[in-house]
Amino acid sequence: MSKIGIVIAREYKERVSKKSFIITTLLVPLLFIGLSILPALLMAIHESDTTTYAVIDRSGIVMPQLEDTSSLHFVAVEDSLQSAKQNSDYDGVLVIGADIVSNPSEVTLLNHSAANMDGEMAIRSQIKKAVETERLKAYNLENLKEIIKEVEADVTITTYRIDEKDGTDSSALPSEISFAIGLGVAFILYMFLIIYGQMVMTSIIEEKNNRVLEIVVSSVKPEQLMMGKICGIGLVAITQVAIWVLLIAAGIFLLLPALMPADVMTEVAAYNSGQFDAATAINDPYMVSTMAQLTQVGFLLKIFGYLTLFLIGGFFLYSSIFAAIGSAVDNIQDASQLQTVAMLPFILAIAFATMVGSDPGSSMSMWLSMIPFISPIVMMVRVPFDIPAWQIWTSLALLYATFFFMVWFAAKIYRVGIFMYGKKPTIKELIKWARYK
Amino acid sequence: MDKILEIENVSKHYAGHTALDNVSLDIPRGQVYGLLGPNGAGKTTLIRIINHITAPDSGSVMFNGHRLSQNDVANIGYLPEERGLYKKMKVGEQALFFARLKGLSNRDAQIKLRQWFDRFEITSWWNKKVEELSKGMAQKVQFIITVLHEPELLIFDEPFSGFDPINANLLKNEILALRDKGATVIFSTHNMSSVEAVCDNITLINKSRNILTGNVAEIRQQMGANRYRIAVTNPPQQLLQGVDAMIEEHRIEKTDGDTTTLILRVNPGVTRRELLRAANEAADVTLFSPALPSMDEVFISTVEKFNSEHK
Repeated sequence: MSKIGIVIAREYKERVSKKSFIITTLLVPLLFIGLSILPALLMAIHESDTTTYAVIDRSGIVMPQLEDTSSLHFVAVEDSLQSAKQNSDYDGVLVIGADIVSNPSEVTLLNHSAANMDGEMAIRSQIKKAVETERLKAYNLENLKEIIKEVEADVTITTYRIDEKDGTDSSALPSEISFAIGLGVAFILYMFLIIYGQMVMTSIIEEKNNRVLEIVVSSVKPEQLMMGKICGIGLVAITQVAIWVLLIAAGIFLLLPALMPADVMTEVAAYNSGQFDAATAINDPYMVSTMAQLTQVGFLLKIFGYLTLFLIGGFFLYSSIFAAIGSAVDNIQDASQLQTVAMLPFILAIAFATMVGSDPGSSMSMWLSMIPFISPIVMMVRVPFDIPAWQIWTSLALLYATFFFMVWFAAKIYRVGIFMYGKKPTIKELIKWARYK
Repeated sequence: MDKILEIENVSKHYAGHTALDNVSLDIPRGQVYGLLGPNGAGKTTLIRIINHITAPDSGSVMFNGHRLSQNDVANIGYLPEERGLYKKMKVGEQALFFARLKGLSNRDAQIKLRQWFDRFEITSWWNKKVEELSKGMAQKVQFIITVLHEPELLIFDEPFSGFDPINANLLKNEILALRDKGATVIFSTHNMSSVEAVCDNITLINKSRNILTGNVAEIRQQMGANRYRIAVTNPPQQLLQGVDAMIEEHRIEKTDGDTTTLILRVNPGVTRRELLRAANEAADVTLFSPALPSMDEVFISTVEKFNSEHK
C-alpha cells in the first residue's frame, strides 16, 4: 500500500470505529423520522379534544347550518345568556345576533378557557357560509344549491416537462416539492461540508499540538499527509451518506408501499406507466403525481448522484481551506477568525438558496450556480428542477478545477504552517508561506 | 573516510530570519555524531532538511553519495525533541502504522515489533491506548518506532529528556549497540556530559552557522593546550605570586578544606616543566595535570567568543 493509502486507512478506521460515528449515523435518520412524525402525532392527540358550545341563535338562521366537526360540537339552547354561561356542560357560549344577515359582526363568543384560534376560524367560516347562503337566497334563484355545486372548482395542475429531443413529455415534480427537496438536499450538503471540513481542521490542530506530526512527516511528505487526511475523512463522510441513502431507499421502497393505501399505489403505478387519468382518479392527482415522482428510481439516482459529486467537489474545496487554517494555528480559538472568512461563502450560498429555489430557471440562478465556492449548495437547489444537464456539468467542472487549485495551494501553506508555533498568522502571511521553497 | 551524509553550503531563510547560513558538514559512517548548539541556533531546521521534511533554499545534501530524495527517508529514523503519539490509538496498532509508513510490510513489522516489545518488557502494553501510558512509557514506544525499520542513519534530538537515569542509561546502551551494528547516529543534545561519553565527532551550530566541527578528543586537546589543573595546600595567593609572570589567566575550580584546585592558562611558550618548577617553589603542590576542558566549557567559550565577535 502506498503511504497515502496507509494514512487514509488510519484516518478512516479511527473515525468509523468510533462509537460516536456509529451512534450518529443510526440516530440521525431516527431523529429525522421522529421529527416528521411528531407534529402529526401531536395533531392526532390534539384533535381528540372536542369543544362544546352552547349556541344562542337569535336570528334562527345560523344554527341549522352549523355543522359539528371532529373538534367542535354545537348545541342549540333556549336559555338566557346568564344561565348558559353558568352551565358547566358547555366550554363556551356562542351568541348570534338577530340581525346577523345585514350585520355580520353581531357575533359574540364567550369562552371558559383560553381562546382557541383554530376553533374561532372554523366558527367564523361556518357563520360566513351561512350568512352568504342567506344573502344569496334573497336573489330568489332557482336550484341555488346545484348552481353553487357546479360553480365550485378545485384546481390541480399536473406538471410535465417538454422534452425537446423526442417530443414525449416527461412528468415533472410540482415546483413546491422540487423546492423542498432542493433546499433539503442543499441543507444536508451544507451541514456535511461544515461538519467534515471542521473535522479536518481540528484533527490537524490536534496533531500539531500533540507533536505527533513531527514524527509522521519524517516518513510521509506533509502534502501526502494532508491529502491522506482529507481523503480519509471524506471517505467517512461518503460512508455516512451511503448508509443514509440505503436507509432512505429502504424506507421508500419497503415502508412507503406498506403504509400507503393500496389504491394510491395502483394509481401511482398507473401514473408511472402513463395511464393515469386525473378526472377519474379516486385520490388527489397532485399527491399521486408527487408520490410517483418521488418513488422513481431514476429521479432518486439523479439526486443522489449529483449530491455525491457536489459533496466530493465541495468537500475537497472546503476541507483544503480548513486544512490550511488548521495547519497555521495552535488552537481552535485562534482559528475562529480565519474560519469566519472561509465560512462566508456558505452563508452567502444559504442566503441565495431560497431565491434560486423559487426561480431556478432564471439567468441569475444559472450564474450563481456556476460560482465554485457556492455552487455545491446553489446548484443542488436547482437539480431537482429539470434544468439542462450541461449547466450541472459545467458547474461541476468549474468546481473540480477550483478544488484542484485549492488543494495545491493549501498544501503549500500546510507544509510551512505545521512547523509554525506561537503567533497567530494573518492571511497575508499565509500567502507568503505558500511561496517558500 | 566513508561519509554517509555530506551537507554543502546549505542555507534556509524564513520571513525575517535566517535559520541556516551556508552550513557545511560531513557525517562519517558508523559514528555517533553530536549536533550541538544553543536554542534557536538552527539545529532543528538542519535536522528537518536531513529528514527531507523541508528543502534548503540553496546548497546540497548528499546521502550515501547521491542527492537526498524522498525515498531515502526509509533509511532514516528520527526521534524529534517535541514528540507525541496519537493518543486515542492503541500502542501496537500505532507502532504498526509508523512501521508501515517507513516501508515495512505488515508481517515484518509485526515480527520486529514483538521482538522489541519483548526486549523492553512492554508486551502487555500492546493493546493499551497511548493516553493510558506515562510519559516515560510513551518515550520507549517512540524509541522503538524510530529504530524499528533498522535505518542506516538515526537522528535523536534530546533523546534522554523525560527519562529517569536508569532508563536513560538503558537507552544510551541501545544507541551504542545500534552504532556497533553499523548505524550512524546524529545526536542532538544540550547535555554535554553525554556528548563526551558517546560522540566521536561534533558540529557546533550557533546563530545559523557552523562555528566548530571536529573530533571531540582533538577539540578538547586543542582547546586545552596550555591549560593545567593544579592543587595546593597553601593559600592560593602564594602559588599565584610565584607563577604570575607565566600565566595568562586563572580561576579557582574548587576549595576543599586546605586544598584549593586552580585552573591555569599559561603564556604560549611556557613549558610544563617550567610551570611545575615555579609552582613547586611557591607552594605545596598535591596535584598537577593538563586540564582538558569539558564539552560544557568548549560549548560556552566557543559560543561566547563567536557572539562577541559577531555583534
